[in-house]
Amino acid sequence: MRGSDKRGGWRQWLALGVLLGGLTMIGFAFREPPDPLQSRRLMTMGTVVDLSTYGVPPDEAREAFDALERRFAGWHHEWHAWAPEAPLARANAAFARGESAELTPDLATLLRHAQHYARASGGLFDPAIGRLLALWGFQQDERPPGPPPAGEAIAELVNRHPEVGAVSLEADGRARSINPAVALDFGGIAKGYAVDLAVAELRARGVTNAIVNAGGNLRAIGDKAGQPWRIGIRNPRGEGVLGWFELAGDAAVSTSGDYERFFDWAGVRYHHILDPRSGYPAIGAAAVTVIADSAEHADAASSALLIAGPSEWLALARELGVEAVLRVDERGAVQMTPAMAARVHFDGAPGWPVEITAAP
Amino acid sequence: MTRADRLLLAASLALLAALYRGLWFGDRQAAEVRITVEGREFARISLFENRLVEVPGPAGITVVEIRDGRARCLSSPGPQHLCERAGWLARGGDSAVGLPNRVSIEILAPDRRFDTFTY
Repeated sequence: MRGSDKRGGWRQWLALGVLLGGLTMIGFAFREPPDPLQSRRLMTMGTVVDLSTYGVPPDEAREAFDALERRFAGWHHEWHAWAPEAPLARANAAFARGESAELTPDLATLLRHAQHYARASGGLFDPAIGRLLALWGFQQDERPPGPPPAGEAIAELVNRHPEVGAVSLEADGRARSINPAVALDFGGIAKGYAVDLAVAELRARGVTNAIVNAGGNLRAIGDKAGQPWRIGIRNPRGEGVLGWFELAGDAAVSTSGDYERFFDWAGVRYHHILDPRSGYPAIGAAAVTVIADSAEHADAASSALLIAGPSEWLALARELGVEAVLRVDERGAVQMTPAMAARVHFDGAPGWPVEITAAP
Repeated sequence: MTRADRLLLAASLALLAALYRGLWFGDRQAAEVRITVEGREFARISLFENRLVEVPGPAGITVVEIRDGRARCLSSPGPQHLCERAGWLARGGDSAVGLPNRVSIEILAPDRRFDTFTY
């Protein structure tokens, strides 16, 4: 009897061992693997910057995000249009005095690219209107409540024709403006350019699947384990999303809207995207979304297309070399080019009219 | 019942509890709200912990309400009140931002519908 008791005890201990081993394995199975999607949110360049990577180990993603955080902080300072000590603000002060100013390599690149988009858009995109933006109170973090500027003051600045074409880059890296009314504000292109530089930095670190999104101007590379990235288009007139599309490989998107920075006065809304022709906020469109090959291209194009009127925007899209455009007019009606219509999905029947235009 | 039997029973009950928790509450517990100030994580709280959180930022206090699996920006300093306008956040990827106060409220949950937004 003692012998069989002993054997029984031995078997029970074995069963317990097997069970504990099983439990340990189950424990490992339930242990959460690191999330393949790593993200960080920065607040810089006057907006929200979201960084996401897929399939990158958390410590590598953290290192990459740290590096990007430092670079965004540097760009924010360097390209700031009105912080007195910022290199761009110092250049603007020099232009006003009729003097030349030294531009950093990135600022010189931004200037050349902005001149290209200004020419291609017939001046609808022009970053030389910094003084108008300041007059409207948009060159400050928070505009104190108050009326819009006087019409005469706006007309006076518009009549001085601040155009980015007046700025020339000299061989020694210095820039000069033949028009002292020029004050550069790269608000309509800098976020896109920064996104492109950030994507290049990620690629240099071996990251192949990522999204960099600076205030709705984004570029997506790679995918999520074979699944494309899914991008929601925020509804410019209400909560939630208007529609969505998928991106994979390498593509950029930008939206410009009248709801990002604005103020209300006497029942009228004044937003920050000014039409250089009138000096007043652009009218006609609530938002324009563009898909392009680079974030800078998309950013500049969406800015210009928001300013273009209902009869101008399609031809302007052609001039700017963008095929996929979605425009929401002030009444909330949607117009899309065929290239955009082929990509955008609406959940159910959209509650607003949708028109597919001719190709640009 | 021998000592081994008792151990076996205890281990089996522990396994049952672990499976129950993992299978029934796995997703639920994964739904969290991440609150950051100036890009730094201030708090990460389960969406099923009903409470009000006062978040100090450079412009004042942002109040985040967490209730019944959702979270919202209840009040935040800022002239346009864009943070409050985002409404209730419940799905993974939903977020609200109070830029003057540098506060971000994001839902971290597996039911993410969009990877990011253009706006």
